[in-house]
Amino acid sequence: MTTHVQDHGCEEYNTLSRRGFVGAAATFMAATSLPAWLPKVVLAQSASSRDIIVSVFLRGGADGLSMVYPFTDTNYYTGRPTIAIPRPDSSVANRGIALNGQFAISAAMSALLPAFRAGNLLVVHGAGLVHNTRSHFDAQKFIEVGKAQDPNLVTGWLGRHLATSTPMRSNAPLRALGLSQGLPRTLVGAPQTLPIPSPATFGLGGNATTRAERSAWLRAEYGDMEASIGTPALDALNTVSLLNAIDFNGYRPAGGAVYPNTGFGRGMRSAAALIKADIGIEAIQLDIGGWDTHAAQAPVTGGMSRTMTDLANSLAAFHADALTGGVTYNVTVVVVSEFGRNVRENGSQGTDHGRGSCLFVMGPRIAGGRVLTNNWVPLARENLESGQDLKVTIDHRDVLAEIVSRRLGNTNLGVVFPSYVPTVRGVTL
Amino acid sequence: MTLEQDPTGTASTIPPLEVTRPTDPVTSRRKFFVAAVAATSVLATREVKAQSIRRAKRKLPEPVRGVSLSLASAAMPPDAQLAVWRDPVGRLLRRATFGVTKEELTRARKLGFSKYLDEQLKPSVIDDREVAAFVATNYPTIRMTADQLYGENLGKVMTEIQEATIYRAAFSRRQLYERMVEFWSDHFNIDRNNVGYLKTTDDRDVIRRHALGTFPALLKSSAHSAAMMEYLDQTSSRRGNINENYAREIMELHSIGVDGGYSQQDVNELARVLTGWTVTGVGVFTYDAGIHDFGPKRVLGRTIPATASGKGLSGKGEADAIIEMLALHPKTALYVATKLTRFLLQYDPTDAMVQKVVAEFLRTKGDIPAMIRVILTEQNLTTAPAKYKRPFHYAVSAVRALGPGLTSVSLVRTLVDNMGHSVFAWETPDGYPDKLEFWSGLVLSRWNAATSLSSASGTSFNFDVTPFVGTSADTGADLIIERLFGGEVTVSLRTRLADYLRPSPANTARVREAVGLALSSTQFQWY
Repeated sequence: MTTHVQDHGCEEYNTLSRRGFVGAAATFMAATSLPAWLPKVVLAQSASSRDIIVSVFLRGGADGLSMVYPFTDTNYYTGRPTIAIPRPDSSVANRGIALNGQFAISAAMSALLPAFRAGNLLVVHGAGLVHNTRSHFDAQKFIEVGKAQDPNLVTGWLGRHLATSTPMRSNAPLRALGLSQGLPRTLVGAPQTLPIPSPATFGLGGNATTRAERSAWLRAEYGDMEASIGTPALDALNTVSLLNAIDFNGYRPAGGAVYPNTGFGRGMRSAAALIKADIGIEAIQLDIGGWDTHAAQAPVTGGMSRTMTDLANSLAAFHADALTGGVTYNVTVVVVSEFGRNVRENGSQGTDHGRGSCLFVMGPRIAGGRVLTNNWVPLARENLESGQDLKVTIDHRDVLAEIVSRRLGNTNLGVVFPSYVPTVRGVTL
Repeated sequence: MTLEQDPTGTASTIPPLEVTRPTDPVTSRRKFFVAAVAATSVLATREVKAQSIRRAKRKLPEPVRGVSLSLASAAMPPDAQLAVWRDPVGRLLRRATFGVTKEELTRARKLGFSKYLDEQLKPSVIDDREVAAFVATNYPTIRMTADQLYGENLGKVMTEIQEATIYRAAFSRRQLYERMVEFWSDHFNIDRNNVGYLKTTDDRDVIRRHALGTFPALLKSSAHSAAMMEYLDQTSSRRGNINENYAREIMELHSIGVDGGYSQQDVNELARVLTGWTVTGVGVFTYDAGIHDFGPKRVLGRTIPATASGKGLSGKGEADAIIEMLALHPKTALYVATKLTRFLLQYDPTDAMVQKVVAEFLRTKGDIPAMIRVILTEQNLTTAPAKYKRPFHYAVSAVRALGPGLTSVSLVRTLVDNMGHSVFAWETPDGYPDKLEFWSGLVLSRWNAATSLSSASGTSFNFDVTPFVGTSADTGADLIIERLFGGEVTVSLRTRLADYLRPSPANTARVREAVGLALSSTQFQWY
């Protein structure tokens, strides 16, 4: 039995966030901090049972059928003569591992089995964007903003969630960050949010003896400035001392977790360190690229297998470290990509842009240990979209909306996912 | 610790928070908020983009916390009232160069708006031998053939192409040409980490050759680039086993745009048309009839009948004809005109502005200088809101302002890397974003770059601070302002710079810091 320290053991903070907030702080927030573009909303509560969210985007269109594949379906093997993952009940090297009687997970991702078996990892298959596009850039945009083909919607779904939530910590200078060079679109619109590619080196350089003076100079200079560049600058200045107090390099993961020494692995490690530092961060966005496998996909031993291993080992380390380690944290991790890839391989032992893929949700309050599908059918040509692709049978927003409402405590789904009525899929406990 | 969990995460005894709009504009923060609400009065689904609201200079006594990014605020910098922003020649220089220098401003004013633009649009008339000589001496690999490059150390090749690009942007007198190189390098983005030394050949033979030429010539040149064939997997597409990557992106990103009206079927068919377009040997584009699909095809309503399979170039003409059609397609005119106007003028141009550029594209068959003339008019320039410098632009403009003595720009390359804008390293074919909200949060790395540049006193990159050392804090501030801002800044910035110098205005370390702060100031972020 683990102890969930969702209130981080600070009674003073709990009192502040529950009562104090509704009083003075709430009035302040309403008057000064709500973005002008928001319609009238009821802000999500600062309830201490709200999860922190770690959101991961697999850039490039990840082939869901190489990650979790229907091993009992002969169409899968006939469509992929050179790149199918071997059946789990075969004796072939690098065979996958059965998750149930129908689906297996790639051997490259076997590190996720403990999380899956603990019931903390949910696979949602045939998921994606209902709007039919095979453009990376449109598909990523539509998923990140949470709606297809609306040129007026430029904020991200997670940005709007944060904008319509009271902060979990009322005085937090930084509520969310992208561990990325540049702000991910998913987070656009979020208050107190920055791109921070390397939290360990976040700070003002130059001569240490004049640093405070220069910092004050910049604060005054940007304090005068309009919001478009003034706000992020002040957020950055307000965050420096907070992050400098965290020893990222000396961070010791719990539970024997070992993060891969890769960009994504280091990112997940930083995410865990930030969450454990308990500084009021409630959303972290990470990217992992390398999924656009048009040629030489090699999901069994080569290129894609390494990318999948990086993903799985990093997520597994985070699971061991932050979700099941000595002290556990209320975190939901969600992993999405812009689309899946063709069921049948192309002429270059790769796969071209497709439609449905699989997404992953991980957390202590996730109805995991399952592969969630909706009317899954054999991958015969006549069952495929345009005769070539896994159909999208679960709108990704169904999964995200349920997390937003049940794990992040935000009832403003009409703002987070405009013009969409999500179907509850039972993603959360 | 036992705290009852509510599975919905919403329960608890806290009553719902009713958000009420403030009605009494007691503080200016509230005033701002009310004004913003009134100005936008939109629903979440009808957000107003930054540029569509034009507002006069606004000074806020305190930061408006939480008002998000550009979404609720104008993108005019606070010094928009300054003469330097109202002067058409000054505005032209801000758009046509990588940073206004005092010398260039003087020269341009002497030439006048039209003659300066004429000159910049015809780079061959501009004597740039000094820069060419430096580049030839210091970056010899940029002139090498693919064959020669193959034999070189890859790290050296990659360093040289980046540093040559930085050096030319900073010091070439053909500034508008270098700006267009920047634009087309994103439009026809190729990640050097993907194709290695072939980026060097594409940069020289495609981007730089046609940056101020015609769009059709540029598109065709790119389609015959070994680097592009490799980058977008065209090299692994063949009859019966197509790879659709390049076929898709030449339509989506290079020509008619994602809303250009093509279908997945068109992508598949164009991929068949393009079979045989590939690379041979060490980075040499070739057409291989042996892997071409000679069957009947139909792309964007155009039928290509089956032909008997042949040798040599037989079958290549199919794709040549489609590319020719794409190059002059009305949707291409719209897509390219919109993107070019956004790059050169403003984030959110009006339809009327764009349509004039579209018409010019169609009239001139994609003549790039002709389109630029329609975009960079005095009227457009003086009404366009400022744009936020991307990190590359920011670093280069700082170098131009400082006028360092240097033998290498490796420091600048490192700083551009630190700011997240590493030259030719955007992984996906859409190119680096040109959006304020993408970059504006990376402000610490910008300030640190300013500090690095202003404190650089090594032999390879030496910023000589002595001309900035005044006899008093006020004269020191004026010297900085003269050089970095053409003599004109807001009163508050002048005061701030003088205040920073005041404790020891003759101390060179202090002056270097003041210069770094001036480069970090809000006014230096815009162009």
